[in-house]
Formats: sequence, C-alpha cells, structure tokens
Amino acid sequence: MKKSLKLMAVVASLTLITGVAVAPASQAAKIKLCLALDTGGVDDHSFNAGAWAGAQASTVSNAEYLPAATSADFAPNIKKFVDKGCELIVGVGYAISPEIVKSAKANPKIKYAVVDDAGQDCDANYNCTAVANVKGLTFKTDEAAFMAGYLSAGMTKTGKIATYGGIGYPTVTIFMDGFARGAAYYNKQKGTSVKVLGWDPANPKAGTMVGSFSDQNKALTISKAFEQQGADIILPVGGVLGAPYAAASEKSKKSLTIWVDTDGYYSLSAGKSILLTTIVKEIGASIKSVAADVAAKKFSGKAYVGTLVNKGVSIAPFHDLNAKVPAKLKSEILKIKLGIIAGTIKVDA
Amino acid sequence: MRNSLAKFLQAIKLPGLSFLMAFTLTGLIIAISDAKVIAKFSTPLEFIKSALAAIGNAYLALFQGAVYDVNLTKGHTFIHGFYPLSETIVIATPLILTGLSVALAFKAGLFNIGAQGQFIFGAIGASYVGFHFHLPIGIHILVAALVGAFFAAIWGGIVGLLKARTGAHEVILTIMMNYIASYFILWILKTQSFLRPGRIDPIAPEVNQSARLPLLAGANFRLNFGIFIALAAAVFVWWLLTKTTIGFKFRAVGANGQAAKTAGISVPFVITSTMMICGALAGLGGAVQVLGSTYSLNTDIAGSFGFDAITVALLGRAQPLGTVFAALLFGALHAGGRTMQSSTGVPLDIVLVTQALVVLFIAAPAFVRYIFRIKKLNASASLTSKGWNG
Repeated sequence: MKKSLKLMAVVASLTLITGVAVAPASQAAKIKLCLALDTGGVDDHSFNAGAWAGAQASTVSNAEYLPAATSADFAPNIKKFVDKGCELIVGVGYAISPEIVKSAKANPKIKYAVVDDAGQDCDANYNCTAVANVKGLTFKTDEAAFMAGYLSAGMTKTGKIATYGGIGYPTVTIFMDGFARGAAYYNKQKGTSVKVLGWDPANPKAGTMVGSFSDQNKALTISKAFEQQGADIILPVGGVLGAPYAAASEKSKKSLTIWVDTDGYYSLSAGKSILLTTIVKEIGASIKSVAADVAAKKFSGKAYVGTLVNKGVSIAPFHDLNAKVPAKLKSEILKIKLGIIAGTIKVDA
Repeated sequence: MRNSLAKFLQAIKLPGLSFLMAFTLTGLIIAISDAKVIAKFSTPLEFIKSALAAIGNAYLALFQGAVYDVNLTKGHTFIHGFYPLSETIVIATPLILTGLSVALAFKAGLFNIGAQGQFIFGAIGASYVGFHFHLPIGIHILVAALVGAFFAAIWGGIVGLLKARTGAHEVILTIMMNYIASYFILWILKTQSFLRPGRIDPIAPEVNQSARLPLLAGANFRLNFGIFIALAAAVFVWWLLTKTTIGFKFRAVGANGQAAKTAGISVPFVITSTMMICGALAGLGGAVQVLGSTYSLNTDIAGSFGFDAITVALLGRAQPLGTVFAALLFGALHAGGRTMQSSTGVPLDIVLVTQALVVLFIAAPAFVRYIFRIKKLNASASLTSKGWNG
C-alpha cells in the first residue's frame, strides 16, 4: 500500500517536473542528499511526499530522509545527517527552518536548503540576515490559489466555498489568502456574492485551523461542519489532513475538494472523482534543482521563489471533472493567469 | 547481597521477557517487510540468511543510534562516539518524570492517564517564566521549573479533588483534562503574550539564556542538567513512598481504600495530594523539556511523553528505579530508531510496534508466564494498580 503510494507520488512529480527548467546534470560522483521532513510523515500524499519524490527523482544524488514525529525531532534529525556526511541537507517545512539555520552556521562546509522559508538567521527581535550556505525555497502560492479561488467561485452551486489550514504558518495562510481573494475577485467581476467560509484575509486570527498536520479526525469534522453550512467546494491546506475528507466526500458527493502541493489525482487513494484541481507547488522540482547545483558545484544561497512565471506554482488539470468546468470559466482563468503574470491583477490586495 | 540480587532478578523477569518477546516479534516484522528478503523466499536457506542479516543490521543500527557509534569518532575523540547515548538520555529525561507521575499514582491505586495534560501545563508555566522574566542564572531556572510544576500540580489536583469529592473516575477525568490541555495550548500560543515577534504561527519565544538548563558535555551534545532533576525526582518518589508517613498512607489507600479508611486514613486527602504530586512530576517533565531541550513552546511540545509514560511505568513495575530504566530503554528505542531508519531504511515507526508489543505482553503476564513456563509469583509482589497487573 505504502509502496504503491510512493510510486504514485514519484510518477506524479515526474510528470510535474517535466515542465520545469532544471540545471543540466553533471557527470560527477553522486552527492549525498538528505531530507529532514516535517511532521505528517513521508506518505502525506502532499508536502513531504512531494519533497521526497523530487529528491528521489534527482539523478545526481543518493537521497535519504528522516521523518519527524514532533518538532522536537528536527534538531536531532539534522544532526544525524551532519554526522552521516550529507552534502546537501534539505529542511522540508517552514517550522524546521530555525534548526536548519543553526546547523548551517555550525557547519559552513555543508550546503543547506529549506522549503517554504527564506532560511535566514533571525534574532529575538526578528532582525534577519542571510546565511551563505542556506538556500531558501519559497513559493508565491497565492498566485495559483487565486486562480483556484476564482474557479471555485465560478463552480459553486450553493454560493459558499470553504477553506481551512493545518497550522497558521504563513506558508499555509498564503494558500487561503489567494483562495479568498480569487473568490472576491470573481464576485467583483460578476457582481455575485460567493462566500468564503473559514478564512478572511483581513482577520487571520479568526481563521479555521486544525492545530496540527496530523489530526485527520479533526480535519474531517471541520470539513463536515463546512458542508453542513452549505459549502460545496472545500480547500484543506495541510498535506495528509484532507485525505479522509476526500474519501468521505467521494461517497457523500456533498462537496468537491481542492488538493494542495502535489497533484492529488496521482497521490490520493480515494477522492479522485471529486477532485476539482490542485494548487501545485513544485517542491520536488526545486529540491532537484538545488541538488543539481550542488553536484555541479554551482550552489548559491540566493533564494528561489516559485511563481506562475517560472512554473514553480500552478493549478493542476481538472482531470475527471474537466467536462464539468464550463469552457468560458476555463478561458477566464487563463486570462487571470496572464493578468497575474503581467501584473495587472494583484493577488495580494 | 545474594538475596537482593535474586530479588532484583525476580523483579525484572517479566518485563525483561516481555521485552525479549517484543524484540523477537519486531524482528520478524522487519524481516518480512523487507522486499529483498521476500525475494529470496524460494530458497529457504538464503531466505533465512538474508532475514537474519536484515534483522541483525536493523538492531545493530538501533544500538549505534542509542548507545555507541564508532563511526562518529572519525576526526573527534572517542567520547564523540557516545553522542547516541547522550541522545537516549535527552529523550529519556522527560519520560522519567512523566513515568514517575504515572508510577506514583499506581502506588496509590490511581490510574493517571493525565500526564500528557500535566506535562503541557508544566511546559507552559516554565516557558512563560523562561522568556518573559529576566532573573539571575540559577534562580531563573529554579523559578521557571517550580512555576511549571506548580501549574501542573494544580491541573492534576483538580482531578484528585473531583474524584475525592464526587467519586468521578480519574481515568475519564484525566482523559478529558488532556483534551482541555491540548486545546488550551493551541489557544494560548495564539495570544499576544505568547507570540514570537515576527511570527504569526503558534510558537512561543525562546527562553532566555539564564533559564536554560546547563549543557553537561559541551555544545555538540544536547545532554543537559535535566537528567539530574529526573534522577532526583526518582529518589524523591522512592523516599516519599518508603520513608514517610504520607507515602505509607498512599500505599495503604492503593492496597485497600476501605481498610485504609477504617484505619483512620483520609482517603480524599490521599487522592488529592497524590494527584497533585503526580501533576507536579509530569509538569516538571514539561519544564525540563522546554528549559533543557526545545527552549521554546509549541503545539506539539508534549509529543507522546504523557502516553508513553503509562507504558514506562508499567514496564518499570511502578517502581522508581524500574521507571528510570524503562524510560532509558524507551529513550534508546526512540534515538536508535532514527539511525535504524537512516542507515537501513527500516521505518522509525517499527519502534512504535515494539513499544506496543511491550505493553501487550506486560498487560498479559499470564501469557508470558505460560510461554516461558514460569510459576506465578506471589500476588502482593506484582501489584501495580487495582485492575492492572494484579
């Protein structure tokens, strides 16, 4: 079961990666690439899975990973990799960033990357400076989420869509911001009044959060509550959290779901038929490209920012629901994409 | 001397055998979940050979990750090879304290499932004092740890009081109090006073340098003063139970509440004070984790320290010394599991299987006795709690 899921994740990321420019692989000896994962496990069908798939897909490295049960595991996991002689250590997740930075400062010869954070050294007052051997891999996820929000607002029959997050990290709320603003943009264009439950960019404190990336029961409860309030499209932002909900909704047909990070069509075991789209974040591709840089001795600490332009973020095909999405809506979404790229549509206001 | 050795062997017989059986079964799971081993299924000799190799490698990695790894001494002194042992101790430290919390409750006939929640309150108290106040070194640690323990003592005491006053069952109470605690920490980490500057996610600021437990073996090791606090707590629990009147009362109520009542012992007092001390112990565990290892409070600070504590206390036969050893064993499993995962690819989760099997066998002593053909011990020696292991 686990094996097949992993395989699916690999296939998924391979198809995604093809669209991304990756530095040419060098013929040098393979580097040792080590992934310190976030909580949620390697089989979260999403965040960690995407990172691990990207690492495995890298032809210039031998990859391994360590999962974290709690955030107390971050530091010892990284230390283990330092002791094992890893050449590139990737911290997967915003929360692990401070530990990556600490380790990077203590081991200037090892290269580091951190997904979802700039990987800067911040003091108690949050004055931050860059660290030469840490590369931050961040994503303007709200660009793609904006498109998904517009799509959802155009697809909803009840006039209500919903979103909730795992923990209120900026990297989670950016999905929700984009989603809510995309829906608001639809309302402005069409004079409709589609409501977004669970998130209001102007009042983030009142946003709906599960409180972890592992409590699937609570996530399912939240999803069902949203369904009862009339939401017929739900975006859970939190890796594996949304999986039981997707499976339940496939049976109840009460709502469509939007997946995050890696295309859920290839990674979800149940829920494909109600999967509207995925807000894709090319975590795997970004890791693969850093590995290539390290192997070619071209590593730099310059931050990588995934956008619609460099295809670091995107929305996935509609797959099974392709026929249900009106052609007019599809062309509007394409227009929005071009507008965001051109800067005529602002996703952060 | 000889007599006490025999007694010691007698005491560790069942837990030891339970552990042995758990390791044997885990080994089987490691072997049959390895694709390379299964591929050789058609040739029995090769199959057994590769199965044994897989198990051997996994357990070797487990040892290297938990006790001593010669690979770590390259470019360092031989002492660096003991880094894994220091990790084992770091993980075991809070577990000793939560384990003692559950063990002490067992002695008074109570089943404290609430170590998790008490741990959380201890961590909250210690963290707040740690980052909010500026006090001299030494005093700061003391105040932070005591405030943490105090918060948790209140939290545990509520359960004791409710049980003593209303007769509500402590198992239900502590389970519910755990939920309250884990949602409370979610809430409090969102409040302004606990938010770390520049962050909007639930993580508290790091505690000040003056509140951090001193490191014992330099900056390369996480080994800190907390282990001495944990060991001192174990001595305290032993002293309390065996050398004091109040400890005698605890044990009397644990053995037979009705008889204790008839003998003039105030059962409500014993229940409330036991739960307060249990709370303080688990809270101290939370304080030690924050002040010695993570330095900051976050939503998953408690991990599974409170729940593993139940297993640890059972494995340690609810004895202070036994609990210390059991916690060290669990720390070793956890620390070693990391290396097992990274060196041999055996998932870290297999350690959870081992832990679960240990509980299973310990909770079913008759089964272990049957397998190893051991005669039943006299009943009084094996008492840990009413309804458990009796």
